Amino acid sequence: MSLAGPPLLELRGITRRFPGVLANDDVSLTLARGEVLGLLGENGAGKSTLMSILAGLIAPDSGAVLISGRETVLPSPLAAAAAGIGMVHQHFKLIGAMSVRDNLALGDVRWGRFTVDYPELTVSIGRLAVELQMEVDFDAVIDDLPVGRQQQVEILKALSRNPAILILDEPTAVLTPHERDGLFRMLARLKARGAGIVLISHRLEDVIEGCDRAVVMRQGRIVGGGPVAGLDRADLVRMVIGDDLAEIERRPGAAGAPVLRADGLVLRRPNGTIAVDGASFDLRAGEIVALCGVDGNGQGELVQMLAGMLRPHAGGLTYWLHGREIAGPLSAAALRQLGLGHVAEDRLRHAVVPNFSLVANWLLTALFHGGLAPRGWLNLATAEARCGAAVRDYDVKAPGNGVPIRQLSGGNQQKLVLARELHGAPELVLAAHPTRGLDVRTIAFVQRELLRARDRGAAVLLLSADLNEVWAIADRVMVMAAGHLHGPVPVAETSRQEVGRWMTGHA
Amino acid sequence: MEPVLIAGLLAASIRLAMSIGITALGEAVAQRSGMINVGIEGIMLAGAFLAALGALYSGSPWGGLGLALLGGVLLAAIHGWFTIVLRTDQIVTGIAFVILGLGLSSFLFRLTMGAAPSSLPAFRGLDLGPLTALPLIGPVLFGQNILVYLTLVLALVLWFVMARTPLGLAIRACGENPDAADAAGIAVNRVRFGCVLFGGAMAGLGGAYLAIAQINSFVENMVVGRGFIAIACVVFGRWHPFGTLLAALGFGLAEAGQIRLQTWYPGVPYQFFVMLPYVLAIGALVFMARSAALPRALGRPFISERRG
Amino acid sequence: MSRVWLQQGLVALGVLAVPSGFILLAGKDPVATWTLLLTYTLGTWNGFSDVLVNAIPLTLLGLGVAVAFRAGIFNIGGDGQLICGAVLAVAVAPILGGLGWAALPLFLMAGAVGGGVAGGLVGWLRTRFSANEIIVTIMMNYVALQMLTWVIRGPLQEPMRIFPRSFAIGEALQLPVLDAGSRLHGGLLVALLAVALLQLVLSRSAFGFRLAVLGENAEAATYAGIKAAPTVVLGLLLSGALGGLAGAVEIAGVFHKLEDNFAAGFGLSAIAVALMARLQPWAIPFTAILFGVFYVGSGALQRQIGLPFPLVWIIQGVVILAFLASRAMQTRTLRVA
Repeated sequence: MSLAGPPLLELRGITRRFPGVLANDDVSLTLARGEVLGLLGENGAGKSTLMSILAGLIAPDSGAVLISGRETVLPSPLAAAAAGIGMVHQHFKLIGAMSVRDNLALGDVRWGRFTVDYPELTVSIGRLAVELQMEVDFDAVIDDLPVGRQQQVEILKALSRNPAILILDEPTAVLTPHERDGLFRMLARLKARGAGIVLISHRLEDVIEGCDRAVVMRQGRIVGGGPVAGLDRADLVRMVIGDDLAEIERRPGAAGAPVLRADGLVLRRPNGTIAVDGASFDLRAGEIVALCGVDGNGQGELVQMLAGMLRPHAGGLTYWLHGREIAGPLSAAALRQLGLGHVAEDRLRHAVVPNFSLVANWLLTALFHGGLAPRGWLNLATAEARCGAAVRDYDVKAPGNGVPIRQLSGGNQQKLVLARELHGAPELVLAAHPTRGLDVRTIAFVQRELLRARDRGAAVLLLSADLNEVWAIADRVMVMAAGHLHGPVPVAETSRQEVGRWMTGHA
Repeated sequence: MEPVLIAGLLAASIRLAMSIGITALGEAVAQRSGMINVGIEGIMLAGAFLAALGALYSGSPWGGLGLALLGGVLLAAIHGWFTIVLRTDQIVTGIAFVILGLGLSSFLFRLTMGAAPSSLPAFRGLDLGPLTALPLIGPVLFGQNILVYLTLVLALVLWFVMARTPLGLAIRACGENPDAADAAGIAVNRVRFGCVLFGGAMAGLGGAYLAIAQINSFVENMVVGRGFIAIACVVFGRWHPFGTLLAALGFGLAEAGQIRLQTWYPGVPYQFFVMLPYVLAIGALVFMARSAALPRALGRPFISERRG
Repeated sequence: MSRVWLQQGLVALGVLAVPSGFILLAGKDPVATWTLLLTYTLGTWNGFSDVLVNAIPLTLLGLGVAVAFRAGIFNIGGDGQLICGAVLAVAVAPILGGLGWAALPLFLMAGAVGGGVAGGLVGWLRTRFSANEIIVTIMMNYVALQMLTWVIRGPLQEPMRIFPRSFAIGEALQLPVLDAGSRLHGGLLVALLAVALLQLVLSRSAFGFRLAVLGENAEAATYAGIKAAPTVVLGLLLSGALGGLAGAVEIAGVFHKLEDNFAAGFGLSAIAVALMARLQPWAIPFTAILFGVFYVGSGALQRQIGLPFPLVWIIQGVVILAFLASRAMQTRTLRVA
C-alpha cells in the first residue's frame, strides 16, 4: 500500500477558526498512494471545514498542506484542481437543467475555447467510464437521473481531470444500498490505479467496508484512528460519539392516552429519493420520545410532516387534541389552532423572523391561539406583557423587547422560541434539536422545561443527535437511518452504544 | 381570407415584430445568465431617440444605429454596476431606468429636435429584384428591411453560442446554479455583466428599429410597453432565441392584426383591438409561468461561497 | 465610519450633479434653476398648494405600493388601478346624484372597488398561475389606458359628443375646495385618513402582521401556519383599492370628469415614493410631497425658463438610483463590521 517516499497528501497542524467555534484544531493526517482513508465523525466535528480547505474554498488560519512532500497553497477551486485534488461534493455542483455532456464540458477548456468538442469529450470520458465500469448517458438531463447516477457524473467530472487525490464528501448519504456497492467497487478500481482517496462519512459501515485506514474527528480534533482491520466497531462508536458516559439521574414519565399516531408515512424529496420510508409510531401524553439520527437521514423531514409543514406522499396521521380524534394530515395553521408547540430545527429560517422584534416574534405563532388577535386586531399590550414575562422567566438576555431578535445570541433566541412554543401548555410539543449550539447552562434549562411540559401531560417528540441528552430526559427512543425508523423502544431497554450503532447505519 | 391579405398581414407582422424581437433576444441572454432587466423599456426609448438623432445628423440610418447601440450599452453598464457590484434589487433598479429612459429621451428630444422629424433617414424594405417580385411570398420573405435579416442571423448566432460554445455553457450555468459555475472556475459576475451589456445593446437597437425602420419618426414615449412585452416574449419563448423570436412574431401578428381588425369590424371600438397585444402578454405569462426552463437563479445576486 | 459619510456624500452629490448636467446642457444655470424650483414649490402658496394637490394621488398610490411590497409583491399597476377606479366611479355617478351627503363617500368607494377588483385579479393570477405580477400589472396599465380612451369616446362621453371626455360629475360628488385661490381640495383629508388607517392596519392588525411575515420570510410563514395565497390576494386587493381611490379622488377633486391622460403616470413615481418612505405609511406623505415638488417644480421651470418638463423623470430616476446606492452601501458596511 504505502510506498517509499513522502505521502501523497499530508496535512500538518491545520487550524481554522470561525466566530465562536474552533472548527479545526491542529489537525494532522497523511494519505498514501493507492490507499482509501476514511474520515469519520458526526456533523459539526469539523470534517466539512477540512474538506473546504482542501477544495480551495477557504484558507486555514495556520498549518500546511503538502502534496507529494511539497507545501502547496490552495487559493481557489481551480488551484486545487491544478494541484491534483479532485472533489466530489456532498451537495453536487451540477447544473440540474443541463445534460450530462454539458455538465462535463462546463468550465473545462480542454474541450475547446470557442466551440466545445463534444465528440472528443464523449470518447475520452466514455473511455474513463468504461474503465470504471460506469454507465453514462451523455444526453440525459441531470434532474432526470436518479441520485446515484448524478453522483457518478459528479465523480466523472472530478476524475476527468486525472487527479492524484480524490476526496468524496458523504458520498453514500443519498445512495441506495445497490448504488453504494457500485461506488465502493469503483473506488477499489481507482485505488488499483494508484489514486489516493479520502472518504468522508458519518457512517461506520462506509469506513469499515470501503477504507483501508480510518481517522476519527470529534469537535475539531483527531481523536483516534488506524488501519481498519485492526479497529473494533465499539471503539469507533465510542470515538465518534464521545465517551462522556456520566451517570444521569433518570426521572421516569407516566405515559397516558395517545396524542399522535403515524402510520407508514412516506415522503419523497424533490429529486425523487425517499426521505422517509414508511414511518409508524405513536406518541402518548406525559412522555418524551426521542428521535435520533444523523443529519440527512430523514428525521428532520419527519418532524416537519408532523408539524404540518410538509405533506406526506403516503401514509396516515391521527391526532388526539382537545379531547377529539382528528384524522390528519393537518396543516400547520390547523395544528397551531389546536395547540401545537414546535421548536423548529432551523431557527433562523423557520422559527424566528430575524428582523422582527422580540414581541413580533412572540406573535408569530401566538397569533392563532392565546387570544392575541381577537377580531383581527393585534392585542399588542398582552403580547408585550407575555413576551416580557417570558423574557424574565426564561432569563433571556436582550437589550429590550423591541429590538430585532437577530441582535440576541443564538441561545437567547432559542430560549424565547421555547417560551413561546411551550406557552399555553400545548398538548403536543415537537422539539427539533432544541439545544443545538447552546451553552451548558441553557441546555440544562431547556431540558428541564421539556421535562416540565411532559409532567404537565404533554406528548413531547425530541429530535436530537446528542445521546447523553436523550438518556437524560427521554422515556422512549427511536432512530432514523436512511429513511427507515427503528423503534421506538423504552430507553431502559437499550443502551447508548446500541442506539449509536443504529444511528450509524448498523442494524 | 384572400391570400393577398394574408401575405400582407404576414409581411406586416414580421416588420412590426422586430423591435420587440431584437430587444427580447438581448433580454433572453441576460436572463439566461440570471439577470433580469425590467428597464429595457427605458433603454429602448433612449435607443429610439438616439437613433433618430444619429440618423438626422449623420444622414444615414447606420449612424443612428451606432449611436443607439452606444447609448444602450452605456445605460446597461450603469444598470449592471448597480445590480452586480452594489447588488441592488434588480427590479427596482430596472424601474429607475424605465423612468430615466423616458426622461432622457423626452428631455433631449425637446432640446434637439423639438418636433417629430418630418423625414428621417431610415431602413427601407429591400428590393431583391426577382425574389421580391415573387407573388405573395416575395414581399413577405424578401422585401423586408435589412435589419430583419440581420436579426434572423443574430438569432442563429445566439442559438449556436448558447448551445455549442463554452461561453454559452458558462452563461447558462450562471443563471441556473452560480455556485456550481463558480466551483467550475467561471467568473460569474463578469459573465453576468457581459450579458447585461449585451441585453442593453439589443434594447437600444430594438428602440432604434422603432424609430428608423418601423415608424420612421420619433415621438415621445413611443415604445408604449414594447419593452415589457419583450420580457413576456422571453418567458413565452422559454429563453430560447428561436422561441423568443417566434413569440415576438406573435406580437407582431397581434399588432398587425389589430389594425386590420379595426377596419373589418368598425362596429367594435378600436381600443379593444389595440388592447390585444397587452392581453396576449398577460395570457402568455399566465400559461407559461410555471415553465421549467426558467433560469433558477434569475434575479438573485451572486455572492461567492468562499470566505477568507 | 468616515468612509460611510464619504460614500453617502458622493451619493447626495450625484443626485444634484446629474440633473444639473442636463440643466447645463439646456443652456440654463443650475444654481438659478434649483433655486427657482425650490422657491416656487416651497416658497409660494401657488406652488406649494399645487405640490399638495400632486401629493394626494401620490400618497394614495404610494400606500398601495407599500401594502403590496410589505408582502414582497411589486404592484406596478397603480396607473391602471387608478383608471379603473375613476372609470367605475364616474360610471355610477349618475345614480348617486340623489343620495345627499352619502353621494361623495359612495363615489369614492366605487373608485376603491374598481381598483380593488383590478388588484384582486392580479393577486389571483399570481397565486393561481404564478404569473409574474410585474409584467401583468404593467400590461394591465396599458389595457386600462385603452379602456379609458374608449369610454370617454363612447359610453361615458359628454352629452354633446364633441370632445373626448366624459360628462361632468354632479356638484354633490365634487370634493370641496379647501382654499379658494388654489386647486387644493378635500382629497387631502382623504389621503391623510388613508395614511392613518393604513398605519393602523399594517402595524396593528393580524392581516398586516401576516403580510409582513410573508414579505420577510415566506418559510417562517409556513412554519407559523400563515396561509400565503389568501393573504396575497387580499393584500393586492387592498393595494388596488387604494389606487382606485386615488382615481376617484382625482376626478372628484381636480378634473370632475374623465379625459385623456388625466392620470399623469404617477404609478411609477409611487414606487419611488413608497420605497423612500421605507414602506412606512406615516412617512409616505412626506416623500409624496418631495415628488410633488419635482413635478410642480419641473412644470414651473418649463413655463418660466423653458426647461423641458421631462427633467422631472431624470430627477426621479436619479433619486431612486441614489437611494438604492445609499442603502446598498449601508448594508455592506454593516456586513463588514
